[in-house]
Formats: sequence, structure tokens, C-alpha cells
Amino acid sequence: MSEFNKNNKVNNAVNSSPVYDDARKFFANALADLGEKNRDVLYISCDSSLGASGAEFNKKFPERHFEFGIAEQNAMGEAAGFAISGKIPFIAAYLPFVAYRCFEQVRDDVCKTNLNVNIMGNNCGFSVSALGATHTVLEDVAVMRALPNLTIFSPCDGPEYYQAVFAAAQIKGPVFIRVHRVKSRRIHKEGFKFEPGKGEILRPGTDITLVSCSSMVANTLDAADMLSVKGIDAEVINISTLKPIDRQLINQSSQKTKKVVTVEEHSVVGGLGGAVAEVLICESPVRMKMIGINDLFAVVGDYSQLIDYYGLSPEKIAGSVMDFLKTF
Amino acid sequence: MPELTPEETKILLEKSYKCRQNILQMMRNAEGHIGGAFSSLDIITVLYNKILRHDPKNPKWPNRDRFILSAGHKCLALYAVLAEQGYFEEDVLYTYGSFKTKVAMHPEEKLLAGIEFPTGSLGHGLPVGHAMALAAKLDGLDYKVYVMLGDGECAEGSVWEAAMSAGHYASDNLVAIVDLNGLQVNGATTEIMDSSPIEKKFKAFGWAVESIDGHDFGQIYRSLAEVPLKKQKPTCIVANTTKCKGLDFAEGKFQYHHWHCEPDKIDEAINIVKSAQNKELENVRI
Repeated sequence: MSEFNKNNKVNNAVNSSPVYDDARKFFANALADLGEKNRDVLYISCDSSLGASGAEFNKKFPERHFEFGIAEQNAMGEAAGFAISGKIPFIAAYLPFVAYRCFEQVRDDVCKTNLNVNIMGNNCGFSVSALGATHTVLEDVAVMRALPNLTIFSPCDGPEYYQAVFAAAQIKGPVFIRVHRVKSRRIHKEGFKFEPGKGEILRPGTDITLVSCSSMVANTLDAADMLSVKGIDAEVINISTLKPIDRQLINQSSQKTKKVVTVEEHSVVGGLGGAVAEVLICESPVRMKMIGINDLFAVVGDYSQLIDYYGLSPEKIAGSVMDFLKTF
Repeated sequence: MPELTPEETKILLEKSYKCRQNILQMMRNAEGHIGGAFSSLDIITVLYNKILRHDPKNPKWPNRDRFILSAGHKCLALYAVLAEQGYFEEDVLYTYGSFKTKVAMHPEEKLLAGIEFPTGSLGHGLPVGHAMALAAKLDGLDYKVYVMLGDGECAEGSVWEAAMSAGHYASDNLVAIVDLNGLQVNGATTEIMDSSPIEKKFKAFGWAVESIDGHDFGQIYRSLAEVPLKKQKPTCIVANTTKCKGLDFAEGKFQYHHWHCEPDKIDEAINIVKSAQNKELENVRI
């Protein structure tokens, strides 16, 4: 029995009346707005245009929307061909299809050439877990992070999603954006400025560093609230650019707290935890714990069931952190 | 109907065979994919001398025609022709096999002027080329995109994804040239994975298709000078060729897909190529 349960959750001051963002709507609006400003922006879909991130763009600029059907290898090669012709393509589809099916096209045609191809991987993590393990994506960060030249964004709320689209177009090389389907609690206030490559301290603390991204940022903030009730002052960091990762921020925080826990809706093999560990082990070694999915294909269930089952609810994150602290 | 004069044919033939000799000189340094280079060389020679709208002094000219060698391992042929066309000094060819050479065993666009897109892994060129063709139409430019494929390469599913896409978009500024030499690394294409009938397959995907003898300069020129063969359809030229054409002991043998020639045998191979050239020239009546 965990020492944390929903009853001892405290109110998060920032989110006393929380807003929940649908990432796909922010993407859709961002792409349409970007397309308005930049005539070179194209949208490429693989039978993925309706209801997905490009719907608004397609309405406004049908001549710049290219549908390539259920054929992602071709679509990714076409994206590269457009980019080397001076266009700025955004290609969006279900994450496993747009990242894994055409992985070699991503590697050879997009990353090796360092072209401005922007890949939107829809439905990361347990977004559509009811569809089963083929559609549940728990290893994309590990796979994509190994590619040279590729920038990886993993936004946590609407404002980050919106600005990540503009940032991706500005970055000369390729960008992979992980898009979560489950509505995310708004973390950022109005006026927030997304900076590629920069992490951010969402909650300063001195006892332990909790590093998170995407869907797990809100849960980690809630876990930190629960820990504060127990007298533990946790620092919470949002890493919305997984590559290149903000080494400076991770080093600074870990040197202060001497303990780091990473939290991700992703495998503990090669994901956020791996990326943070790669920094710390070389530059400022401290003990770490990685909270995530333990190298397995997930069972089928609805989102909240799976988050709880795999230990990613705020209560379970707080419990895992407490267990880790007891080992010191 | 566009025709080459006998003088033009003679010049093309001499250039193509000079390229074969230069390729053999390159292979003093290292082994290479000579089989596909020699089967595709006559076509690439005609393309750069007679068909492509291009300027070696301005290789990034926006309205240039594009050539992508999707079967990137045939790049010895492309290097030799690009050097002959003046994209770079011939000396660059002879750095083949050396550390950080610009003429690698698969072509890299960042290393060498005239390479439109890097290739190596098969099945990548047609998707990229098709997007270049779509981009031309978006930009109101009238350049054409030529993509050379191998018949072994046609086992890759991405070739047919792209073929379907180009047919769907009616991209008549795209030309696929299949260097059908009938052989791949491990044997006859019909035995490894039968990609025939290539013509019927491309037709079924909405392309206009013509079959030619890929070593007959007149036929190569006539077919390529008339593309698109049909409005609103991408064009596929199926070029029947001989692997390792011009090196008689290796012609039509899959073992010469990739060949390591002992350095002391290079001169002998060059002499064989010269003899083949003379024999071919006898057939050109001026």
C-alpha cells in the first residue's frame, strides 16, 4: 500500500482551476498560422489528414497538402525531396508508422542530408493504448535519439506544442515532435516563450531533482506536491527538447540536490532517463532512479488504467521517489 | 522523331568508352561496382550530353533538370560522366579508394558538385525524385527529374509506393529509367526475386512505358528526347542492358556486380575495353 493516495494530494497553486489542452488542436492552429506566414511550408499526410494535426492547414492551403496514402517509406522520401527543393515539409502520421516503418528513409534521406523535414509523431506513449501494443509507442525516444542531426521536441502542453511547430520550421535540420493525444493540463502561463534546447525549472527545490517531459510533467508536479507534504522539497524540471538536451540545467540541478529521478511515459531503455544518465555519468555523477516502462510491450487498457498500472500516477511517482530516498 | 547523326553517335560512343577506361583507372585503387556502372554508362552518357538541361558551372541552377542515381552503387559511371562534363577535375576520380575521397562507393551530394541526392540504400531515389517533380510544379518551373533504378532494386517496396504516388499525381515531369541488366549481387534477378515484367508493372501503376536497347545510342536518345511519352503520365524507360558491357570476359556475369581487379590486370582490362570500342565504332557508319 502506497503511503500516497489521492486524498493527500494538495492543490497546485498554478492550476487551481486547470485548463486541459488538446495537442492536436494547437498543432493544427500552429501549422495553419505558420503556413500563412511561410509559403514554403507543406503538409504531408499518410491517410492521416482528417482530425489530425494538419486539418486546419489543409482547409486553408489545399495546394500545399500532399496525401501519400498508407505508404510511409515513400512519404518520408518525398518529404526529403521537397526539403532539398527548398520546401519546409511537416509530415504527420501515427508515430510507429512515421518513425519506424520508414526509419531508414528518416536516417538516410532526412537526417544524413540534414534537411528541414519536420516529423510529427502522433499518439506517443499510451495515447491510444486501447488499440494494443502495435499502436502503443514506448521506445521512440530511444530509437530516434540515436540519429545524428535530429532535434527532438516532446512538448507538455498547448503553448509548447504551438511554439514547437514554429521552432521546428526555423531549425535548418530535421525535427521530430512527439505528439500526445490525451489532453494535457496547461502548465505554462500566457507569455511563455519556448526555447529549443532549453529545459526549465517548473518548481524549484533543494532535496531531489525530478526530471520529466510530455504527459508526465503534470503528474510529476503533482507528485512533488505530495512529497512536500512529507517535508521533501523536490525540484521539477521539464525537458521539452530531448535532443539536444539541456546539459547545463541537468548538471546544475543535480549538483544542488545530489539525487535525480526521471519520469517518462516511455521505456526506461534509452529514453529521457537514458539521456539524463548520459549527461550525469560523464559530467556530474549522482545516484539516479528512472521511472518509466520497464522494457516490455504494454498490456491493453485505457489511459488512466495503464498510467496507474505502470506506476506513472502522481501517487505512484511520489511513492517511488520516497522508496528511492530511503536508500540514501 | 529526334535522331542522332552518325557523327553524334560516334562522339557519344567514344565518350562512353573513355569513361569505361577512366573507371578502370579508378579501380587501380580499390574494388568497385563495375557491372552496373558499365551497364548504365551509355544511358548516363546520353543523358548528360544530349538530354539534361544542366550547367556544370552552375550546378545548383534552380531550373536545371535533376538526375538521381537511385541505384547508387552504379556511381562509378556517374562520376566518370560528371568529370567528363566538367563538374570537377578528372584528377578527383583517381582519389577513389583513398581516405575522405569525394568519390565514395556511394554518391554523396555534400561532397561533390553534380550529385543531386545521396543514395546507397536501394529504393530511396524514386520517392525523392517524385517530390522534386512535384516541387517543380509548385514553383512553376519546367525542369524534369530523371531517376535511374536497377532491376534488382525493383524488389524494394518503396519503389512501388513511389510509382503509385507518381501515377496518382500524374507527374509527367518525372522519368524513371530502369537499367535492366538482369543480374544482381547473388545471381539472375529472375532467380533471386523476379521483378519482371517491369513494363507491365509500371503501366499498371499509371505510367507511360517504353522498352529500349540500353546500349543503342539512337534508341536511348529517341526515347529520352520525347518524354513525357504521354501527357499527365510519368514516363518509364525500361533499358535492356548487359551487365559489365564492354569488358567481354565479364559481360553478363553476376560475379562482376562488384569486382576487385588485381592492379596488374587493369591495363589488360583497359585494352579489352578499347577493342570493344573499336568493334562498336565499326557499326557506326559515317
